[in-house]
Amino acid sequence: MNTARHDADPPLIHVAIVEDDPSFCMALSQAVHAAADMLLVGVASSRIEGLALLQGPPADVLLVDLGLPDGSGIDVIRAAVQQWPSCSIMVSTNFGDETHVMRSIEAGAAGYLLKDSSPVRMVDEIRSLASGGSPISPIIARQILARFRQPGPDPQPVAQAPAAPDLLSPREREVLDLITKGFTAQEIAKLMQLSPFTVRSFVRRIYNKLQVSSKAEAIYEARTLGLLPD
Amino acid sequence: MRFRPAALVPYAVLAASTLLLVAVGAWYARAGGDDPATAGAHLTRAEWQVVDTQGFRAPPSTVDSASLPGTWQPVVLPDALHDAKSGPADGGVRTSWVKLSTQGLAIPPGPLLLYGARIHTDGTIAIYVNGQLVHRAQAQGPLWNSLFTPLLVDLTEHEGGAVPKEILLRIEHTSSFRVGVSSLWLGSPDAMRERYYVRLWLQQEMPATLNTAFLAVGFFALFIWFKRRHETSYLLFFYLAATSFAAHMHYYANLPIASGWFAWMTLNALFWLIVAIHFFLRQLHGRRLLWLTRGLVGISATITVLTLPSIQVLSVMPNAPIVAPSIYAIILLAALTVSIVDGVAAWNRSREGRLLMLCLGVCVLLGIPDWMLHNHVMNPEGWFTGAYTNAVTFGAFGLLMYRRYINAIGEVERINASLAQRLQQRESELALSHRRLLEAELRQTISDERQRLMQDMHDGLGSSLISAIRSVQGGGVDSGQVSQILKDCLDDLKLTIDSMEPVDADLLLLLAMLRFRLEPRLKTAGIALSWEVQDLPALSWLDPSSALHILRIAQESIANILRHAQASEIRVRTTVATDAIEVHIEDNGRGFDIERALAAATGRGLHNQQRRAAAIGGTVTWQAIDGGVRFTLRLPLERQVVPAG
Repeated sequence: MNTARHDADPPLIHVAIVEDDPSFCMALSQAVHAAADMLLVGVASSRIEGLALLQGPPADVLLVDLGLPDGSGIDVIRAAVQQWPSCSIMVSTNFGDETHVMRSIEAGAAGYLLKDSSPVRMVDEIRSLASGGSPISPIIARQILARFRQPGPDPQPVAQAPAAPDLLSPREREVLDLITKGFTAQEIAKLMQLSPFTVRSFVRRIYNKLQVSSKAEAIYEARTLGLLPD
Repeated sequence: MRFRPAALVPYAVLAASTLLLVAVGAWYARAGGDDPATAGAHLTRAEWQVVDTQGFRAPPSTVDSASLPGTWQPVVLPDALHDAKSGPADGGVRTSWVKLSTQGLAIPPGPLLLYGARIHTDGTIAIYVNGQLVHRAQAQGPLWNSLFTPLLVDLTEHEGGAVPKEILLRIEHTSSFRVGVSSLWLGSPDAMRERYYVRLWLQQEMPATLNTAFLAVGFFALFIWFKRRHETSYLLFFYLAATSFAAHMHYYANLPIASGWFAWMTLNALFWLIVAIHFFLRQLHGRRLLWLTRGLVGISATITVLTLPSIQVLSVMPNAPIVAPSIYAIILLAALTVSIVDGVAAWNRSREGRLLMLCLGVCVLLGIPDWMLHNHVMNPEGWFTGAYTNAVTFGAFGLLMYRRYINAIGEVERINASLAQRLQQRESELALSHRRLLEAELRQTISDERQRLMQDMHDGLGSSLISAIRSVQGGGVDSGQVSQILKDCLDDLKLTIDSMEPVDADLLLLLAMLRFRLEPRLKTAGIALSWEVQDLPALSWLDPSSALHILRIAQESIANILRHAQASEIRVRTTVATDAIEVHIEDNGRGFDIERALAAATGRGLHNQQRRAAAIGGTVTWQAIDGGVRFTLRLPLERQVVPAG
């Protein structure tokens, strides 16, 4: 990775973490400390502490674990979206499996971090996220494509009322398609004649759209539930 | 209380219709006006005499009652005029004179009308007032409906409105015929007309209306029978309506009694009617009653044939003095027999049979006055109630049809309800079995998945962890090696998890997942990955179990390169053949002796790959290429057999 470590004067990336696993917490702290452009500004080890942390000054990147001892990290993500709107939220996960990641993105997360990543990879991901990019895996890409399925080739459009099919631009769709075929951001950038950063910022945009559409969907579902109990 | 218009509307309609009928009836009844008791004089005391004449003659315009040759005998009307001395037996003509005086009676002032219920004769009738001829009736002989048509004579235009002192009736008849004369009324036009119309309506018009209605309903039944040929009772009903219509025609036909055919028809129709009712009852009670059927049919057929006008064995002219009354007696007897015998047979079996029996009984009772009037047992002012037998039959059969109709509707509703109930029951049964099936399927799926994961963990994760523990216990390895083994274990676990994601038959997505997992390790090892894949056709058989096999095969292949090949680059390519997809993994390492590796016991990894490939109907091959090895996994597009595992 081309880690842009110019010793000019880019502002420090403020990192906060909500994590109950001390070993990962330690590994991350060390990685952040080792990075000259980052500063660990807050550590919380439970949902309550995490929510309290959000009362303080906003960080640039917030790392949240979903499995907290006193509740779900999703709550922390939702609260962070409200209280730290400028902050990029990242969910830390063991496997980056679809269920955890999709739920987090729908709640407002902009990325995820695999817990077994190397320290270098960790700071790279944090840096990329802070600069407006987002990581993605083939499975997540497939899920998002399915969520925004276009009517047309599919004879039976999925009955997801509010998920407007036009939400994804053709280029965004192309990026996702290439990801499901196993191409990396760099390769996609080359294929589509873009910069790797642009590809990652496309992903961030797609995540935002997913969050918006899932909100609309939640409203729709609530209505449906109100009309048809059970 | 809440107002519910919808529930009240039907009652309002019912009330309005009933009120309308009552109003019309009341208006019709009150149209007569005056009280009839005070508005006329009742003439009952009379004198009569009978004179032999030579044939029928036109009545003279004036007659002086004192000049008549016979001696006057007193009589109280209504009565049959019976002459003690026997006249000529050869059927000669006689004239009966009846003289009524108004002396001592309160004759109302003003215009007057003369009313009489009936004058029964087979000849002509002439009426004189104060010696002047004022009215002639049945001048050409009796009409069919003469017996049922009352007499009404307007006296206002005669005698200049002078009060009538004497009323003289001139009645011609054959010598053996017994003349019947009802009492007469003299009174105001309104009162007399009312008497006349009430009598006419009850004796003639109402039965005629009912008769026509019966026939109309008969046609309705006939059309039902056209559609439902197996239900003969509808045909029988039509037959009943037709015969009873014919049998009562003589009550209404305003025609001279000339043709014997009409008499033959109306009279015999009564027999046919009784036979029809008998068959109807037989249907209801289900007994054959052979002797009764034979007797009835026999008598009916015999009389029908004997009375044929062309044969003339028996005369059926209503005025035939002996035959007609006796035939009526036979009819009454037959009706009574059917009513009793069939009634007894049906009594405990069918409510409808009981109803019909009662109906027939009532008809017999109604028929008796007819017979009595014909035979002068009853005074000639009586009512021919036989006209109403039709109404009774119609009512009874109408009631039967009504019951059947209501029962049919009820039955249909009941069947519909039970159908709906059965359908619901079936649906719930179906839902239950469907749910059980789903549960069984789910259990099977869970069991399969569990077995698959167990197998995979046993072979992969389990043995890797055991070897890691052994290595650590042996102390012969450094922490870096242990870390590597654990990382391998984690990769194994990640691939296991990935294999559970739905890939929608997309092999490329599966390969993409593998690359996503292994990329960090390749990067760490400093090996470049060249991704040269192309779009692939869908593999419909790609289930999670197959997906895991493919992932493991490819993982093993890359692990081998990492372990042994000392390569700097790995190329992953896909190609599509006619019936298969090929995945190629090539390295630029130092290569290996494929034959020997496969033969050696240490080639466990290669054997695992072969075994897994076979399990999903595919093959694996190794091929030495320029500076390395090309590993090829060949997967069929269609999988014939689905082997377990």
